[in-house]
Amino acid sequence: MDSKLYRLDDLIRSKDKRSLIVDASAGLSLGTLPGLEDFERAVRPVLPLADGLVCSAGQLRRLSARTRHEAGLLVRMDWTNTLRDADFVLPPVEARRVAVLTPQAALDLGAVAMVSSFLLGYAEEIEAACLYDIAQWALEGKARGLPLVVEVRATGSRVAIPDKAIELGASYALEAGADVIAIPYSGIKSLKTIGEFVSVPWVLKPSTLESARDELAQALETGAAGLWLDHSVFAQPDPPQVVQRFAAQVHQSEATPCKVG
Amino acid sequence: MQSGLDARMARLFNRHGDGRAVCVAADHGYMSDVTPNVVRLRQVTEAVIRGGADGILLSPGQALRLASFFRGRDGPALIIRADWMNVPRLGNTNVMNAVPQRRLVHQKILTAEQALALGATAITIYLFLGYDDDVEATGIEVCARFADECRRVGLPCIMEPLTFGSRVTGANNVELLTLGARMCVEIGADALKIPYTGDVESFAHLCRVARVPVLVLGGARSDNERDALELFAEGLEAGCHGCLMGRNVTKSPNPEQLIRQLCQIAHAGYSVDDALRGERWDHVRLKATPAKCTGCEICMVACVGAHDNGAFSTHPARLRIEPIALGRHRVMFCTLCNKCIDVCPTGALKWHDTTGAVELIAEKCTACDKCVDIFPTHVILRSDVGTPRLPWLPIICDLCASDPTCAKSCPTGAIWVDERKVLR
Repeated sequence: MDSKLYRLDDLIRSKDKRSLIVDASAGLSLGTLPGLEDFERAVRPVLPLADGLVCSAGQLRRLSARTRHEAGLLVRMDWTNTLRDADFVLPPVEARRVAVLTPQAALDLGAVAMVSSFLLGYAEEIEAACLYDIAQWALEGKARGLPLVVEVRATGSRVAIPDKAIELGASYALEAGADVIAIPYSGIKSLKTIGEFVSVPWVLKPSTLESARDELAQALETGAAGLWLDHSVFAQPDPPQVVQRFAAQVHQSEATPCKVG
Repeated sequence: MQSGLDARMARLFNRHGDGRAVCVAADHGYMSDVTPNVVRLRQVTEAVIRGGADGILLSPGQALRLASFFRGRDGPALIIRADWMNVPRLGNTNVMNAVPQRRLVHQKILTAEQALALGATAITIYLFLGYDDDVEATGIEVCARFADECRRVGLPCIMEPLTFGSRVTGANNVELLTLGARMCVEIGADALKIPYTGDVESFAHLCRVARVPVLVLGGARSDNERDALELFAEGLEAGCHGCLMGRNVTKSPNPEQLIRQLCQIAHAGYSVDDALRGERWDHVRLKATPAKCTGCEICMVACVGAHDNGAFSTHPARLRIEPIALGRHRVMFCTLCNKCIDVCPTGALKWHDTTGAVELIAEKCTACDKCVDIFPTHVILRSDVGTPRLPWLPIICDLCASDPTCAKSCPTGAIWVDERKVLR
């Protein structure tokens, strides 16, 4: 086993090859988010329930004292303003994405994996830059034993056929060298196609938290390895309970009410 | 690093000791929308390896995952796509166009050293001509950098000049491809991957000016697999060193068989028909199923077109179609019966050493008419034009160098080719 597989095992449970990943890195672009005002206090209760937690580099430093029974920490490698809406305090005039970390820095931070977004539907140069970064990070990750998780985000205004755009993003991520891919819900037919050609573990990004349960059930049937929840989970009245409920569905164990946190 | 370069060039081009390579481009998932060949990449790759592919072109990510396919002395050479572009998704070029692109972007993705670390035997990169000056200049810069990196680490650099954009027309396409081929060689390409120009003559010129091994690419998928085989056979006739075919192979219902056929053409000297049959026939003969003949006479027109400077007529055809009843026709052609050779008093007719067809030695012919007369069916004719010595010469079926045009053009299969096992 090489060190990349060792770290992947930290993220994807070897028992059932499934994973629940919670993305708490959006503050890098959106600032303070509901439920994440005190980041460490908000995410600590979630760590024993999830398999992976995505953080920005700064927040990851504060969580490095995790135990082996807690979620692996993934670090966000890039920044983008495409998460911002038109009513955000500083709305984007033009889409931007930049790399903010190197694989060596990610390794030094103790991350179990790197996370990069793959943006589709924006300027051609953004797509090309995503592809370049992913290929480079995948190769460096292989050399350093650090897996790369690619989050497909087909959210640009030029997306003409959303489900096909998501398939395209998954294909590009795969061809560029991703070890795990986070794929937005694209309908059952499209998920089946994705399940056929994506030869690495992939996790579902549900449309909303409300629809996540049904969409996850469909995705698991088509070969998904788990679920990717975004920061909206922390805005729920009882985030740990929500995470635990989804963890039970992902790992196909009985969902039990949880009072953690 | 010349020895490394030589060793890798030999692995790619000299696996069979003939300087030729049959390669498959399986990097479409890296640039175009998700099509069935992208979905079935692993199965397709396994199939083309079973078929005997000499090299397979993959994206860096797939090269990481499918590395085990390239192990061992019998494994194919791994060619890595070191750059990326969005041409398949520009404008109306792709029917799906999930995320339409407005302008061409060409991006260097890997270094030669990184490709080498992935186990590459060679890398492939594009050079675009005809889009705009900036794209061309960027392409030259990228190609020059790769050529330098590759030379330092001993990795063959296969450049792929492509014509694309508003400045490409039907009239200048071949000239642009030839220009691109030569420019790539001047930059430092070790081999070229290039589209077929459409005819043997212009492609032969391109291969001559290139002066490095040329791999012809297959272009868009054709529903008729004969098209891909014929394109390749013409490329080899023009002097190319192999092929790097993508969609024609990866979208084929039977990629393994198609690769085997391409290998038979490249490495065993099979004709396209031999490859399609799966066995080599040294000599052929014409056969007919008269019940299938509709009397369309396309075979006769094709025969004249193939022999008489492209004339459009049926008069000098080497075969005859005669109506014998309503909807029924008699098909008459040379059956290689030997009668004309037997009757010739001067020995002007003999069996052709290579094709086995009847051959006329014009110097010995006296225009005695005996060979014409012995065939009341008129499959041997008098020519309209003679020679300084003779008023006419007999026109005799030459079996089109063992690839009869009449059989190829028959729309109903009434005329067909069979193996001639005994050559008299």
